[in-house]
Amino acid sequence: MTSSRVYGVLASFTSVEGIIEAAKAVKEAGLTKWDCHTPFPVHGLDKAMGVKMTKLPWIVLGCGLSGLALAIWLQWWTNAVDYPFIISGKPLWSIPANVPIMFELTVLFSALSTFFGMWMLNRLPRWYHPLFSVPSFRRATSDRFFIVVEADDPAYQAPEIKALFEAQGAATVEVVEETITNTDWPPKIKFAAWAAAGLLMLPPAFVVKAKFSTSETPRLHLVPDMDHQPKFKAQAASSLFADGRAMRMPIDGTVARGELVANEALHTGFLGGEYVTEFPLPVDEFLMERGRERFNIYCTACHGVSGLGDGMVNKRAQEIVSPLWVPPLSLHAETVISQPPGQLFQTISKGVRNMPGYAQQIPVRDRWAIVLYLKALQRSQSGSLDDVPLQLRNTIR
Amino acid sequence: MTSVHSIPTGALEGVHAGEKLSGLARISLLIGMAGLALGAWLGWSGGEAEMRHFWFSYLVAFAFLLTIGMGALFFTMLQHAVGAYWSVVIRRIAELTMANFPLLALLFLPLLIPLLDGHGTLWPWAGHHEGGDPGHAALLAHKEPFLNVPFFLLRIAVYFGVWISLARWFLRRSLEQDLTSSPTPTVRSRKWSSPGIIVFALALSFGAFDLLMSLNPAWFSTIFGVYIFAGSFIGNCAWMILCARWLQNRNLLTNQINVEHYHDMGKFLFGFVFFWGYIGFSQFMLIWYANLPEETMWYKDRITPAWESWSWFMVFGHFVIPFAGLLSRHVKRSRFGLLFFACYALFMHWVDMYWVVMPNMNAPSLGGPADGGSNPFGLMDVAVTVGLVGIFVSCFARRAAKHPLLPVKDPLLADSLAFENA
Repeated sequence: MTSSRVYGVLASFTSVEGIIEAAKAVKEAGLTKWDCHTPFPVHGLDKAMGVKMTKLPWIVLGCGLSGLALAIWLQWWTNAVDYPFIISGKPLWSIPANVPIMFELTVLFSALSTFFGMWMLNRLPRWYHPLFSVPSFRRATSDRFFIVVEADDPAYQAPEIKALFEAQGAATVEVVEETITNTDWPPKIKFAAWAAAGLLMLPPAFVVKAKFSTSETPRLHLVPDMDHQPKFKAQAASSLFADGRAMRMPIDGTVARGELVANEALHTGFLGGEYVTEFPLPVDEFLMERGRERFNIYCTACHGVSGLGDGMVNKRAQEIVSPLWVPPLSLHAETVISQPPGQLFQTISKGVRNMPGYAQQIPVRDRWAIVLYLKALQRSQSGSLDDVPLQLRNTIR
Repeated sequence: MTSVHSIPTGALEGVHAGEKLSGLARISLLIGMAGLALGAWLGWSGGEAEMRHFWFSYLVAFAFLLTIGMGALFFTMLQHAVGAYWSVVIRRIAELTMANFPLLALLFLPLLIPLLDGHGTLWPWAGHHEGGDPGHAALLAHKEPFLNVPFFLLRIAVYFGVWISLARWFLRRSLEQDLTSSPTPTVRSRKWSSPGIIVFALALSFGAFDLLMSLNPAWFSTIFGVYIFAGSFIGNCAWMILCARWLQNRNLLTNQINVEHYHDMGKFLFGFVFFWGYIGFSQFMLIWYANLPEETMWYKDRITPAWESWSWFMVFGHFVIPFAGLLSRHVKRSRFGLLFFACYALFMHWVDMYWVVMPNMNAPSLGGPADGGSNPFGLMDVAVTVGLVGIFVSCFARRAAKHPLLPVKDPLLADSLAFENA
């Protein structure tokens, strides 16, 4: 299905001066739908053609300011309103921290709008132009300067325009026929495109389904990453060793580093099968401070700062009514106060009920420091003014 | 280096200033001497504090002119390095400006007085400076191997050695080119411009550290040299635009410099206004974010009641207003618009130098009053700046009268004359 119609009159010139003069003449003839095609940018041609200043800078300015506004809004909304989060002690909404993004988005929007705005104003992308079918037009990329007046121009009169070009000394003048081709896609291609579009909808459909349904099967591991590592975990079985255990026993007659029990009282809290009642290390101010610090790090999460068993973990467990939760004993209960230091040390080291052993996390000296601080904490609940040294009594009254 | 254009007739008219500039040279020298004398008298008669103000004021004016000179030197080398042809018709203005470096070295000499007086009048590290954070004393002792008077003087000598020899060498090549049609001098300039820029950049950066940053010796910012560089490029662009306009009003270079060249100078001005803002903000933001006392003190000195409005003026006056104003192509191509913003940018560059130097005089971080005292701006600052600028202009005019104002046989001159912005 092809037909043809007249596209316009095409004239070629051999020099820069020639096309500039011709462009002036065409403009003076009152024609409006016409254009020039040259092998390189010809200075002064836009003026001769009467081309108006491009609107592009205004588009870019508008888009740049939009980018700036978007950056301000984005940072204000995300940082100060929707998810307030203090970073580096700075205010939630602080301009200096936001300037880099404001700058970047302004530049990004400006650059993209310059590029695509130019496309839009030039009606790009365009794969075909009627002049491409004119063999002589190929010289527009090497050594000929062309002017074409389109037939759509209201003042279009082919003979007059031809005469005008000839009067301007055109090297060639010809009327260009435009072939109008049926631009519909062939049915097979159309069907394939629709089918492909339909298939492309499948993955998002699966995603939506997965979001609103539950499944017993484990998820697909497309990227296993660190989920499955070729290693043995603690207490796991292994076919490699004869005894079937992945963990190995120490070789007879050796002691692992840091595991040597040189001082039974210090390392175990026992002496001769009895809990020790005295601290097996020198007690001083430093040890007490250390104990307070460690207690606040390791113990307060469950036992609370005051040791009453009201730590955050306990509060949370009460709140969600966790069936597995055994509330920690108040450290000021009579049963705890009566425990000798050795027993407290044992509890910290090995754990009790829900409480895990902390031997792996807290070194021996620090465990004793915690015991010391705990003893002081217990003492603090039953203290009287008589416990305070005379010279300090005035300061606490 | 072949040209597609030929030099049109009349293109070499109005390139010899001759007597046309001698009046300017005389008058500006007179005004300059008078201004400097007035400033010095105000300082001398006002007692110790006013004398100290005078030296700070002198350093402001000196830094203002030094940065313009450095901008001109960089401009010249940059045009050679990239083989620019548009700028050939205005390049001689930059070349004549940078030839003022020996004068600048001479103008540095009075600063030896506050340097060597033993009180640390300008540079606290150079003497026994009372007050300030006791921790600074240890810091100064640590920096003593670098910040001491003999080594400082040696470095200043090296910087001026670099600037003077680079400026002389490039000016000589350009004048050599005036006498021959062979492109050899221009080719040599192009060849040596890139190594020259590297040496220049080091001298500028360390010069900025020594002359300006060490006014508060405990403070440091590695980007400071770049900040001063950005300002010097702005200062030089504005200076060149004003010089070109002034010469054209005297019927010089009227056939050569046209709106296309001004448009490009306007683009440079615009671009470096933004660059200045970018670098200035980069310096500020990192210090603001890290919030370390030894870095924030420089800005804290500048947000005291005495300086806070001045600092805001820097943000809006030095960046926002000229950025918005020069954004449009029409402004850069308009005679009045570009003239206005060139004057404005030159003024703001002076304001910038004042803002860098002057708050150190009563800085809280250097033992001054906690509120920074009162803003010292007054007649003396104007007088001293007018004084040094007058001497600078006079020297420039004297040299401009002796040489052609255009590189008359530059191989790229014809292209420059025919230059058009797309």
